[in-house]
Amino acid sequence: MKRLAVLLAVLLLAAPPAQAQNYTPISGAGSTWSYNALDQWRKNVVQYGMRINFAGTGSTDGRNQFKAGQVDFAVSEIPYGLTDAGVRDVPPKDGTYAYMPIVAGGTSLMYNLKIGGKRVTNLRLSGEVVTKIFTGGITSWADPAIAKDNPGLKLPDRKVVPVVRSDGSGTSAQFTAWMAARHGGIWDEYCRKAKRATPCGFTSNYPLIAPAVGQSGSLGVANYVRQDGSEGSITYVEYSYARNAGFPVAKLLNSKGYYVEPKAQAVAVALMQAKINQDLTQDLGAVYTNGDARSYPMSSYSYMILPIAEGGKFNKDKGRTLSDFAYYFLCEGQQQADRLGFSPLPINLVRAGLDQVARIPGTTRQNKDISKCNNPTFSADGSNTLATNAPQPPDCDKQGTTQCKEGTGGATENTENNNNAATGNNNTNGVNPTGNPTDAPADPAAVGEDVVDPVTGETVRRSGQSATATPVSVSLRQNNSSLLIVVITVLMVVLIFGPPLVSRWMRRPGGDR
Amino acid sequence: MSATNMIGTEVRRATNSARRTDITAVLGSLTAAAALTGLLFDQIAPFSGVVGFVAIAYAVFLALYALMVSLDDDSLAVRDKLASAVVHSLALIALGALVFIVIYPIYMGVEALGHLNFFTEDMADAGTLDPLELGGVLHAAVGTLEQITIALVITVPLGLTCAIFLNETRGMFTRLVRTVVEAMTALPSIVAGLFVYASLILVLGFQRSGFAAGCAISVMMLPIMIRAADVVVRLVPSSLKEASYALGAGQLRTVWHVVLPTARSGLTTSVLLATARGIGETSPVLITAGFTPFLNWNPFADSQVSLPLATFQLVTSSEETMKQRGFGAAAVLMALVLVLFVLARLIGGRAHGGR
Amino acid sequence: MTQLISAEPLERAQEPDGPRRRFRAPGGIDRAFRLVLRAAGLAVLVMMATVGLFLLTRGADAISKSGFGFLTTQAWEPDSLNFGIAAVLVGTVLIASVALVVAFPLALGVALYISEYAPRKAKRALTSLVDLMAAVPSVVYGLFGSTFLQWQGVDVPRWISIQFGWIPFLHVDGANPDDPLATDSAYVTSTFWAGLIVGFMVMPFICSVMREAFSTAPQGEREGAYALGATRWGMIRSVVLPFGRSGMIGGTMLGLGRAMGETIAVAMIIAPVFTIQTQILGSGGNSVSALIASRWGAASPFGLSALMAAGLALFLLTLVVNFAASAVIARSRSGQGS
Repeated sequence: MKRLAVLLAVLLLAAPPAQAQNYTPISGAGSTWSYNALDQWRKNVVQYGMRINFAGTGSTDGRNQFKAGQVDFAVSEIPYGLTDAGVRDVPPKDGTYAYMPIVAGGTSLMYNLKIGGKRVTNLRLSGEVVTKIFTGGITSWADPAIAKDNPGLKLPDRKVVPVVRSDGSGTSAQFTAWMAARHGGIWDEYCRKAKRATPCGFTSNYPLIAPAVGQSGSLGVANYVRQDGSEGSITYVEYSYARNAGFPVAKLLNSKGYYVEPKAQAVAVALMQAKINQDLTQDLGAVYTNGDARSYPMSSYSYMILPIAEGGKFNKDKGRTLSDFAYYFLCEGQQQADRLGFSPLPINLVRAGLDQVARIPGTTRQNKDISKCNNPTFSADGSNTLATNAPQPPDCDKQGTTQCKEGTGGATENTENNNNAATGNNNTNGVNPTGNPTDAPADPAAVGEDVVDPVTGETVRRSGQSATATPVSVSLRQNNSSLLIVVITVLMVVLIFGPPLVSRWMRRPGGDR
Repeated sequence: MSATNMIGTEVRRATNSARRTDITAVLGSLTAAAALTGLLFDQIAPFSGVVGFVAIAYAVFLALYALMVSLDDDSLAVRDKLASAVVHSLALIALGALVFIVIYPIYMGVEALGHLNFFTEDMADAGTLDPLELGGVLHAAVGTLEQITIALVITVPLGLTCAIFLNETRGMFTRLVRTVVEAMTALPSIVAGLFVYASLILVLGFQRSGFAAGCAISVMMLPIMIRAADVVVRLVPSSLKEASYALGAGQLRTVWHVVLPTARSGLTTSVLLATARGIGETSPVLITAGFTPFLNWNPFADSQVSLPLATFQLVTSSEETMKQRGFGAAAVLMALVLVLFVLARLIGGRAHGGR
Repeated sequence: MTQLISAEPLERAQEPDGPRRRFRAPGGIDRAFRLVLRAAGLAVLVMMATVGLFLLTRGADAISKSGFGFLTTQAWEPDSLNFGIAAVLVGTVLIASVALVVAFPLALGVALYISEYAPRKAKRALTSLVDLMAAVPSVVYGLFGSTFLQWQGVDVPRWISIQFGWIPFLHVDGANPDDPLATDSAYVTSTFWAGLIVGFMVMPFICSVMREAFSTAPQGEREGAYALGATRWGMIRSVVLPFGRSGMIGGTMLGLGRAMGETIAVAMIIAPVFTIQTQILGSGGNSVSALIASRWGAASPFGLSALMAAGLALFLLTLVVNFAASAVIARSRSGQGS
């Protein structure tokens, strides 16, 4: 015991910054969606002597533990008091907690698709198609609805495998909230099939009915999609997983008619329209329909749930740590959001967040000059630089007959357009200066072979690298030949082993003694 | 004492001696089987794939081997050789799978394992984006050792006494205990975690801590230890016990001097199996001890992380470095376990009967 | 205690080879010893029963609301009162069966190899290796299975389903081997893979107990068998296996318990479906533990109650299976004393 105490003392002394301000350690639990960001911020404030423990156990668990007084703060994608699958999540006592936005992000659609052995990296999808894919309405990549979104691609008649989260998760909640708000009819239909109460609204537990394949955790869904064997699969996952796996994400159609990738800027632009309720919960209806051409519709942010009254295990000392931590990540911490796969909070949300920090008991009440935050969304005059500077999407991303070929997400290689029909249209329009497939040195094989089988609808014409069919024992099924094979095999065995055995057997009676 | 000595002196006689023809028969059959299957795949049947090849070749090998042996020996010998071949190949498959699974985390985490700081630091200075030069899993190793010590302190006396109880007494009560314990071996670990969380933490007001995690692990370990110990204690020949009673020893003396020493290696095994189960648990630790990136020596206060939990949290990250750290943590856990187990086997002593 | 004293001599004479009963009342120290034993038994019983009671009280709410439908419903939508364990319990049994089919022969082979065939010097190393395999955390098994083995080894279920697809449970719906555009996804995330990985996980548990049982087989009898001209296999069949039978069954039951309760590895591999999926090679399956693991985090209070009820059902199922097994053990030769 004594030795432990000595060791402990040594460890404390060994960390000089710890003495500077003597912060009381605090602990939190919740969202795995924002775990990456919190973990990085947690590390960054160690130098100031703060000890923040955060367990990524999931949003719902975070809220429950906060309610039970087990943690000092919770992080969640969903506020209290909402109804998930018909059950209302009862909030803690009024006036004991507040919400504060901490980090924004887009729910991305990671997919694994190849044409002729070459990865597709520029897939575009409209909201309705996405909803239909994840509710079983679209089952083949050759579906005309997908073709309409992708005039430059001739997709194979491969099965669509929608991969969803099998565990309860905030990502599912965000994705389903978007589907419920935008395509409620299709979504409710699916819920009805799963025998859930309709209107369905959002849910943390995605209803698992065929053809949806459930996988556990973000890692699980991302890993499933990235396998060579799971071509044709698509999932919703945090942008960072797709980026680090080197996989593309689908561009999603926004209200202005542009297909946009969930990059930090696109999310920040979209969230400029986030309507903030009195208690800072998010009303994302306007985000989904944001009329800005640069916005990514499926954008959202996650909250920290803060205590604003002492009680239980929470006291002013902890409040001091929590407020300083919050001041750090609302301001300086946002710089790293992009690298972590998130998007920095736009200025409206940061301002609102700072007001909440001031309500924490024992808060240090810093007068943050937000122009010094270096938040990439801010400028000295308080306007949102990111939003002002975010580039307009290229014309080839506009809904219509053209399609950009640049890779998305973690996939950097381009995808050459392979749809000759689209090429024809392109020329007549003459709108697209960059992504025009006719500019690209067309693969002679690709051009020549683009013949759609009129009978089967088999549109795959793999240029050169034709479909590599796995040789399987197809012919064994034909009964007449399988009998023949058996006969041949038996004959062969008899031929090889017969003579020595027979001779041995014949020699035996006379041979030995 | 007397019992062990008596048995210890009895040495198993070596009765086998491999003849040269045995080896040539095996090798010949293997070659012939491979050639024959190759011919079958290549020329005759439209089979393909490695799996099919191995499956068919193995069947052919067994047939050929039986044929070879039958040329020289009688059917008893054929059966003996065939059984030997099957046992050897099963052992080979299992040990191959085992080596594969042990190598896998080491291979995946080799980059993290190459940094010395990985063994001497906690994760305080390493966030999501930091390189492998920063941070390590010392905090998790400390947590694992403390939690499993707590769990062993609870379970070893209780578990072994209970196993003796099951074998030394009889009646309804004994049967009831045995039945309940056996059914508990299938308790999902998460339920154990939720149970300790609901009872120890929410009702009794304990902190989330290494101690609570140790208790949750104990709930997991106890049935396994009792079950395994029960089996081996039961194997102690009753003739030995009767001999002890016949010499006028009481029940305590018989258990202490005959049963326990005879079953010593088996009891060690039961403790090791339970430890293996407990030391690799993830979810109960997450629920009862929380997650922390900091080193915490005190198991009775504040969050404390264990190696499997650290593995779980780290490998689910989207960052490649974090995944490597996660697999590295798993490799450290296995190294730790190996050291502990070898020590335990040395202390647990060798059993009679040839080891 | 009273039983022991009052046992009648006549009855004893008819007893087969079992422990003889003693006629001397235990002395003071033995009395205390027995008291300690009983106390330990009681403590364990109380501890385990509390867990059972915890499950019962937490799950009672859900069971009372769903009634009999709890056993027959396949879906799991507790919040709309449409939930039951039909699918998950069948899934658990299937996964555990596959696990045992994989683990039992392997464990038997390794145990026999270590105790009967291996060179004496290798025994200790092999024993340590098997112990080590038992201690590999389930997360690693889960990752190994979900990201590596099931994709690299997809040929195995494909080959089996093509060759033996006429057996109903080895058939895979929706997989067409003739379709060049078909993906591997029909053959992964299946009961087969979950069972295989769980089989590897429980193999060392079964193996250790078996090996322990085999090595306690009396030396004299082994040599007796050899002296009578038995081959090594003959000796194993007539001495080692009969003697180790209780160990074999006990070890298998231990492994079965572990297989049914395995959580994380199954949750990582399987793609949960809430219909009874009997095609073990095809994608989809489920288990009670995996269900609890994936749903407890985001469950409503009633949903949690439903999960606990599922846990209780698993507990009862294990109880039944173990009853059956202990009946067999009691009849085997080395199963005296129970």
